[in-house]
Amino acid sequence: MAKKVQVTRPTKIELARLKRRLKLATRIQKIVKDRLSILIMELLQTVRECASVKDRLLTEFSEAYRSLSITTGYHGYASLKKELLISEMAPKINAGTRNVAGVRIPFFEIEKADPMTSKRKNMADTSSFLDQSTELSKKCLETIIELAELQKSLELLGMEINKVKRINNALEHIVVPGLDMTIKYLTMKFEERDREEAARLKHVKLLIEQREAYAY
Amino acid sequence: MPTDHSSDGSIAGYLKDESKVLNAQIPRKRRSLTELLKEEHPHVVCNDGSAHFFKRKELEYLSQMLYEDERNSLLLPIIMEVTPDQSGVTIRSKGGPEAKIFSKILDMTVVSKENVITIFKPQLNVVRKALKTTTQYVFLFRNL
Repeated sequence: MAKKVQVTRPTKIELARLKRRLKLATRIQKIVKDRLSILIMELLQTVRECASVKDRLLTEFSEAYRSLSITTGYHGYASLKKELLISEMAPKINAGTRNVAGVRIPFFEIEKADPMTSKRKNMADTSSFLDQSTELSKKCLETIIELAELQKSLELLGMEINKVKRINNALEHIVVPGLDMTIKYLTMKFEERDREEAARLKHVKLLIEQREAYAY
Repeated sequence: MPTDHSSDGSIAGYLKDESKVLNAQIPRKRRSLTELLKEEHPHVVCNDGSAHFFKRKELEYLSQMLYEDERNSLLLPIIMEVTPDQSGVTIRSKGGPEAKIFSKILDMTVVSKENVITIFKPQLNVVRKALKTTTQYVFLFRNL
């Protein structure tokens, strides 16, 4: 429940100050609400993308394993291992950040290896099965990196949404109603004071009139 | 009687901080698509000093849509202005390549009126899905 803001003295200056604070709080609330809606939209989109990438990764993994088992059967485990050791290359990944509505999100992109500089397999000892397996594995790796980016984005966006929601709730349910209540209380107090003042003046006027009547 | 000595400064400061956080991603200087395509790691420097990287895939996707002169005039990231109490976002476009891009992405005619393109929130999803790194939000405090 909203609590009335404790004020030093119920004065008109205090009332003006409170009104200014209420205006500011409403401004902040509007901005926070906008940010929240944008963040939620981004989160939902990321969730959808995450689900589709996960499905794709599962399909790609099953295809890659199937292809690898065929290749192993065709070449034999030892010779396949030898070929893969020769042509093994660490993937180059570009990592950076991007900013979505104030949230810094990681960004990964796999660098495409130059076919002229990359280590080549021995064409005489290998087959198209191995090429196909390599291609499918590369695809899997790209999808894993994409999924890693999405999962981290999801986590960061979720955390930020929690934070912004708390701010929004505090403004909506405590700060703004509290200020509203205090402004109402002060306004009522001033009205009451005005009424008392009017009554006092009437009474004084009556007393003066009575005194004048007795004088005659 | 307990008193509240906190001044308006605390709320004003909060508003200032919030605007700083929200608009930290605004680039110090936008760069043309042609310029970015030539770079090994295409990026712009943001207001808070951090770097905002662009996905090469997205840059190539944009370059496929545009002619040479449009690529030179298109400044990235595309800034999307979010104004409170409005149902959509606005994009300021001088040359018009932005309108062409959004028309293709949304698969509908998008017109730039007085150098301003308006996109509604349901369409924003589609745009952001296609252009994750090449678009950025800016929160405006006017109309408040």
